[in-house]
Amino acid sequence: MLKRFTNFLTSLKFGIILFIIIAVYSIIGTVIPQGMDMQFYLNQYQTFGSLMVFLQFDQVYSSVIYLVIVFVFIINLVGCTLKILPLQLKKMKDYIPNKGKNNENLYENWMDIEDIKRGFSKRGFKVIDREEGSYAVKHRIGHIGSSVTHLGIVIIILGALIGNMFVKEGYITLAPGEVYVFDEDGFTFRLNDFYLDLREDGSVEQYYSELTVYEDEKEPREEMIWVNNPLNINGMYFYQSDYGWASKMQITCADGHVHQESIIKENPHAFYEPEDLTVFLYGYFPDFSMDMHGNPVTLSQNVRNPAYAVVLYNEEGYVDSYIVEPGQPIKYKDIVITFVDSVLYTGLTYRQDFGYYPVLIGSIVLTLGILLSFYFYPKYILISPDEIIPVTRQNVWGFTIKIKKILEELNKVRGNNQ
Amino acid sequence: MNIVFFEEVSFTIAFVIYIAAALSFFVYLAGGKEKAGKFGVIASIAGFIVHTAAMILRVIESGRLPFSNQFEFASSFTWGIVLIFLIIQFYYKFSSLGAFVMPLAFLMMGYASMLSKDIKPLMPALQSRWLTIHVGAAVISYGSFAVACGLAVMYLLNRKNMHKADSKLPDAEAYDYLSYRIIAFGFLMLTIVIVTGAIWAKYAWSRYWAWDPKETWSLITWLIYSVYLHLRFNRGWRGKPAAWFAVIGFVCVIFTFVGVNILLPGLHSYK
Ligand code: HEM
Repeated sequence: MLKRFTNFLTSLKFGIILFIIIAVYSIIGTVIPQGMDMQFYLNQYQTFGSLMVFLQFDQVYSSVIYLVIVFVFIINLVGCTLKILPLQLKKMKDYIPNKGKNNENLYENWMDIEDIKRGFSKRGFKVIDREEGSYAVKHRIGHIGSSVTHLGIVIIILGALIGNMFVKEGYITLAPGEVYVFDEDGFTFRLNDFYLDLREDGSVEQYYSELTVYEDEKEPREEMIWVNNPLNINGMYFYQSDYGWASKMQITCADGHVHQESIIKENPHAFYEPEDLTVFLYGYFPDFSMDMHGNPVTLSQNVRNPAYAVVLYNEEGYVDSYIVEPGQPIKYKDIVITFVDSVLYTGLTYRQDFGYYPVLIGSIVLTLGILLSFYFYPKYILISPDEIIPVTRQNVWGFTIKIKKILEELNKVRGNNQ
Repeated sequence: MNIVFFEEVSFTIAFVIYIAAALSFFVYLAGGKEKAGKFGVIASIAGFIVHTAAMILRVIESGRLPFSNQFEFASSFTWGIVLIFLIIQFYYKFSSLGAFVMPLAFLMMGYASMLSKDIKPLMPALQSRWLTIHVGAAVISYGSFAVACGLAVMYLLNRKNMHKADSKLPDAEAYDYLSYRIIAFGFLMLTIVIVTGAIWAKYAWSRYWAWDPKETWSLITWLIYSVYLHLRFNRGWRGKPAAWFAVIGFVCVIFTFVGVNILLPGLHSYK
């Protein structure tokens, strides 16, 4: 009973069932929107919504179900590979295949067997004479091709799973001059400059963040990050992923005394307590214009005609909205609100995922395994006084054609020599 | 007249020649005139040359490889199909294969011709040499799967009249094997596509694998061909079921290529 169970667990049949389950489950994840909240599914799919959430269709790829399937898949794959590996290793050392019904005898009368053997020898085959007969063999290493491929897959999956448990990631924004301390990791960033490379049509060619990195016990150094060129600090990668405008907001009284000064970056709301006033910067438009619906837009990221769209709220709700130039005052009761000094800030995503390295190694192993399986597969030629039979499990047809060509060549050489 | 004009002209000429090639292969298949088959091959070669010229002009105009929007992918995909077809044709001389492959080529070219041909500069995320390897491998891989699918269809049709002496189609067994070998090659290339895609994503987007629909569907395609290879190797699947599988695999490739873009827009872009 147990034996039958393990046999099934490690069988190719079960493997293929798992392949199909994985494929179907993955497809579900591409069809159903992922990561929305529960209400979305209940509304969208009515009665089925709750079942779908129960089956974790809302987060297929991070679901426990998926994890379990992948885990069973690994057990299946490892079990199946361990079952065949000993035989493969043995075959690599010493093995002569039997001829089957698909194997053609290419022997013809003109052939001188010793001559032919030398010919194969010259073409990279190893010719081995045995009592039972001779054979020529090449690429015996290919016997372990499937195991190498499978090993690659196992390394990839385990590397990814374990890596994901330790991923550190986040997002920071920095305006020029700002500093960010990565306490735990022992380094500090200072953004020296951030700029866009614009093309003639106004589209962005590239985004550049220039930083100074202060790392414990090391000289400070200058670094530059752009899209497709992340900065790697001890396995923590920093990516150019976003940008925006940071603006300085000042709240003064009529005589110019400054009450509050804040930098408005990602969070566009600022609160001024004494008046219970919320200042909402709807947007900064470096190249201000109105679209056909009367909404403010920017034509480019070039500072040509800068303007701020500002909305004020107090405890009773909406007060008013304004479009102002830099420094142009917005008056509210006794105070004056101004926006100035807008600069581009950079948005950097960071991610540390050591799983990448095993996944990369696994991918290389996988690719090598596939090469072994399909190109450096074991090739045998059984040779006896009246038989020349190409034998291979992988590709009898192609290999037979190849050997026919070699024999033709040998025939030509023989013709020339005579 | 400028380079763009010549590019469009050569693209259209190539398209027309591909249609002509497909038609003459049909004539060959239906009527058995050797000449029609020969003409089909010559037309395919001519179309391929003109198409290559169109792509080169585009490279000159844009200063980069034609790998960055759906039109360019579709055009390159067609190019890959014809390239693999011509290589197989050169080695095995199965003229009738053209009747099954060239229609795929001209359909793909037709799809390309409906898309915007604007030359846009590369957005920053696409400025990577990994992109070149990634898409280059995809062109070869998808082209191979297309040709394997053509061979499988040939096999399926040919099986019916295998016993007819006057069959113009060569040995069905050969299609079956060749289709399999080409799928194995396509599978190797698809593996390289996925791996280089992951490496590129690591440098551009921070995550080597993000389960976006395109990635997921390429994985599904890969799994399907992997099932095919296992059944074939271990269960001796060949002939009809294997041929159907090759067709299904290619449907999956097409879905990954076209369907995902239309139906399942994902993050395969930098905002
Ligand atoms: C995505 C995952 C997998 C990949 C890429 C893969 C790849 C390969 C490759 C390339 C071969 C060489 C055989 C050929 O020429 O077709 C092979 C053989 C084989 N695979 Fe897999 N495999 C995978 C998963 C599995 C699973 C889950 C099982 C089942 C338990 C399995 C069972 C086998 C067996 C039994 C062989 C034959 C080995 C031999 O007799 O030499 N594989 N695999």
